[in-house]
Amino acid sequence: MERGGRSTKGVMAVACAVAALVLAMGIAACGDDTVGGGSGGEVTVAKGGPAKGHLTISNWPGYIDPGPKGTVAEFEKDSGVSVDYIEDVNDNNTFFGKMQPQLEQGESGGRSIFVLTDWMAKQMYDLGYLQEIDRADLPTVFENLVPSLENPSFDPGRKFSIPWQSGMTGVWVDTAKAPDIKSVNDVFDPKYKGKVTFLEEMRDSVPLVMKAEGVDPEEATNEDWMKAIDKVGAAADSGQIRAFTGNNYNEELNAGNIVAAIGWSGDASIVSNPNAEWRMPTEGCVLWSDNMVIPVGAPNVGAAFGWMEFVYEPEVAADLTEYITYVSPVDGVKDLVKPALAKDQLVFPSPEFQENCSTQDSPPDVETVSGAWADVVAG
Amino acid sequence: MSPKQRLVPYWLLGPGLLWLLLFFVVPMYFMGELALRSGTLTSGFTFTWEWSNFPDSLSGHTEQIVRSFFYAGTATVLALAIGYPLAYAIAFRAGRFKLLLLFAVIAPFFTTYLIRTIAWKTILSDDSPVVSVLQTLALLPDDGRILATPAAVIAGLTYNFLPFMILPLYANLERLDMRLIEAAKDLYSSSRLAFLKVTLPLTMPGIVAGVLLTFIPAFGDYINAQLLGGTGQAMVGNVIQSLYLNQRDYPEAAALSFLMMALILAVVTVYIRFAGTGAFMGDEDELERRA
Amino acid sequence: MTVAANAWGWLRRNALPIYAGFAVAYMLIPIAVIAIFSFGDTPQGKLTFTLGEGFTLDYWRTVFDIPELNEALLTSLRLAALSTLISTVIGTLMAIALVRHRFFGRRAANLLIVIPMATPEVVIGASLLSMFIYYSFTLGFSTLLIAHVMFSISFVVVVVRSRLIGFDRNLEEAAADLGATPLTTFRTVTLPLLMPGVIAAALLAFALSIDDFVISNFNSGTTVTFPLYVYGVSLRGIPVQVNALATLLFVVTVLAVVLVLWQQRRAERMAAVRPEREAPPIPAPPAQATT
Repeated sequence: MERGGRSTKGVMAVACAVAALVLAMGIAACGDDTVGGGSGGEVTVAKGGPAKGHLTISNWPGYIDPGPKGTVAEFEKDSGVSVDYIEDVNDNNTFFGKMQPQLEQGESGGRSIFVLTDWMAKQMYDLGYLQEIDRADLPTVFENLVPSLENPSFDPGRKFSIPWQSGMTGVWVDTAKAPDIKSVNDVFDPKYKGKVTFLEEMRDSVPLVMKAEGVDPEEATNEDWMKAIDKVGAAADSGQIRAFTGNNYNEELNAGNIVAAIGWSGDASIVSNPNAEWRMPTEGCVLWSDNMVIPVGAPNVGAAFGWMEFVYEPEVAADLTEYITYVSPVDGVKDLVKPALAKDQLVFPSPEFQENCSTQDSPPDVETVSGAWADVVAG
Repeated sequence: MSPKQRLVPYWLLGPGLLWLLLFFVVPMYFMGELALRSGTLTSGFTFTWEWSNFPDSLSGHTEQIVRSFFYAGTATVLALAIGYPLAYAIAFRAGRFKLLLLFAVIAPFFTTYLIRTIAWKTILSDDSPVVSVLQTLALLPDDGRILATPAAVIAGLTYNFLPFMILPLYANLERLDMRLIEAAKDLYSSSRLAFLKVTLPLTMPGIVAGVLLTFIPAFGDYINAQLLGGTGQAMVGNVIQSLYLNQRDYPEAAALSFLMMALILAVVTVYIRFAGTGAFMGDEDELERRA
Repeated sequence: MTVAANAWGWLRRNALPIYAGFAVAYMLIPIAVIAIFSFGDTPQGKLTFTLGEGFTLDYWRTVFDIPELNEALLTSLRLAALSTLISTVIGTLMAIALVRHRFFGRRAANLLIVIPMATPEVVIGASLLSMFIYYSFTLGFSTLLIAHVMFSISFVVVVVRSRLIGFDRNLEEAAADLGATPLTTFRTVTLPLLMPGVIAAALLAFALSIDDFVISNFNSGTTVTFPLYVYGVSLRGIPVQVNALATLLFVVTVLAVVLVLWQQRRAERMAAVRPEREAPPIPAPPAQATT
């Protein structure tokens, strides 16, 4: 092959590449120019209607009693609505990332209800991705909602969120292997090196660490947050913390890989390790709620309202609580469940039990602090 | 050739090229464009020719990049060490069972990547027999573990990408003309020498293809690190995934993605030049050159 | 010779097959684990061999009882079937064009096909997502299909191309000499002989699509494929039916392949054509037809 021929071929290849690139840019120019920034539109109030047709719900895993006698089946029988119940919310951030492009365009991906933790509900609302709810459409809900949840700081008057379940973040301990862990500070004890996990969720892990240092998360400054994050980061680097988990810390507990995990109070049903128990840290826990919200572009809002009304009936709520063992937002459930469960402080916590607990809050400078935390979690 | 005949290859290529152009090249352009934006999701990303995203993402994540090289490189070397003898055995010593064995190699593919890796997580868990055996053999300290260590991630990578190494090796070994080895032996060469001087050089294209097909996806993988690794084992793939889906810092994610591709391209170019073969790019060119 | 020497000699001679046996066993370990786990109420995550207690066929009986799981599996199968069909057709046409025709831009086309294979899945998935965001495409089955076809094309081309290169053109020339038009030749000679390569490529495309997690994770919207479903439940506790289904999938695939191989063996025996040797070259006709 002559050298001349080779170089011509090379030039041709480059020319083709350039042509392809120009073509690509041309096609690209037909697209939209803005990315992100919220939809910036007016906040709509969700319009109700008769409950019929089809309903798609996105919820966290393990948050419903399944099967032919479960809540979904009962609702379908009761109302005639066919329900697609998808358990694809594994993490607030990841779910947000997945849905954001569509929400930006005013679409909800076919879903009529999301279930999100308080702060994420607020974040979506601020970005204009949620619809507001008219109290008049949900009489049962507002009649049965426990008073303590009627006016949360992130949504006074419950304009866009309806609580699904509440819970507490504390420490799951394998009492056979680490009986003396009673505070979050004990989790940093070197003798448990490599045998503890933290939650990926910043608003679960970091406030606990701050509380253990004597800082009130609701009043914490950026420096307080960063100091706590540094402490966790150092523990991660030294190998003290084995991993940052999502919902799956229960697997590690069950397999015997860890002795302690920052985790959620209601997970008893999925922790099969007989020695593991959830402990309220001596300095208190973190309180949170997961809420049902109606996204923009939600189809069949009437059916969504029907669902919300249904699950706020005390009998239905009681069935739910018996299975998922989290704290119900519905008044009167305590009298309807099995007596053993009614006495369980984790499911029906008394005010004294929760007196040291704090609600989940966001740091003043969310971007920077979240970025620092993400760096720690990502390794 | 008639003008119509000249157009035939273009008709044949058309659909495929169009698909690749629309759904590979164009997205790359968008990713590049995204990499030059700045801002946040809540306030919007605006196009500001933010070239600093590139060096920033590089310096912020050097540790993970180096780690990815190390893990993927080690996994590739291990895969080669394990895979070459296996491919050789299948090509020359398997007889009737050739295709069956080959299938046994690909078989794991048919049980979702995730399930395979989770199975390894169970096999290697702290209380498992495997770890106990290793502890008794003193290969592990008494309270040692495999999971959440680099070893687990490398083991996972090696296992999951072994078929990518074996198949090209096998394809190449199978075409080897045994008569060349016989000729070498006739010329009084020992088996080992015959292997080194005849087989190995002739199978170089297969080795190159296998190494590349293994290293490249391993470098960008994040599942193994996520499932089998712990806090100190995050790879570049984990960071990119976190940036895109968790932090929604799209510009930094896009910049890092481009950097990763550039790094891979650099490694591939150097390697191909060093190993010297057109096996990866176009056999028919090589064939023509030899004809 | 002593028994020990005999044994040692036997070991040396069969070292390679013995090693191959171990290697193949290693490849199949996770599958064995998954199968074992499908039979048990074994406590989550613990590998115990006490199958006596807790051994149950319940999960096999109820293997199709989880609607989300079934739906995810069906979606994956549909997606894989469509993706295989499209990408195999497109890829085969491309391979033919690349090997058989010389045309302007062949090098560039080669490059374009190879680069996606060299791009980590994270990057492909993320860049596609970026584009779909720009064009406000609703993420779902169609976006998944687009993505799957895209990354399959390259692999199909490579596999079919390698088959085409080893192709004996004399057979086609013979057909032409016997008066067949190019299209007829293609239909009756080329395509049938090409079939093993095309089928291999299709199998590869199918496996890639059904197994894909990373790219699907970025581009699926509400659609749930089998790997995505497994990922979702793995964070909370995999229902045992998943293990049963995975084992079922594996066994079905193995049976299918064994069946195909057995059929092939029978067909070849009946046609008395040995698989190891290509058909003997047909001598060129004495007088070349002048054009």
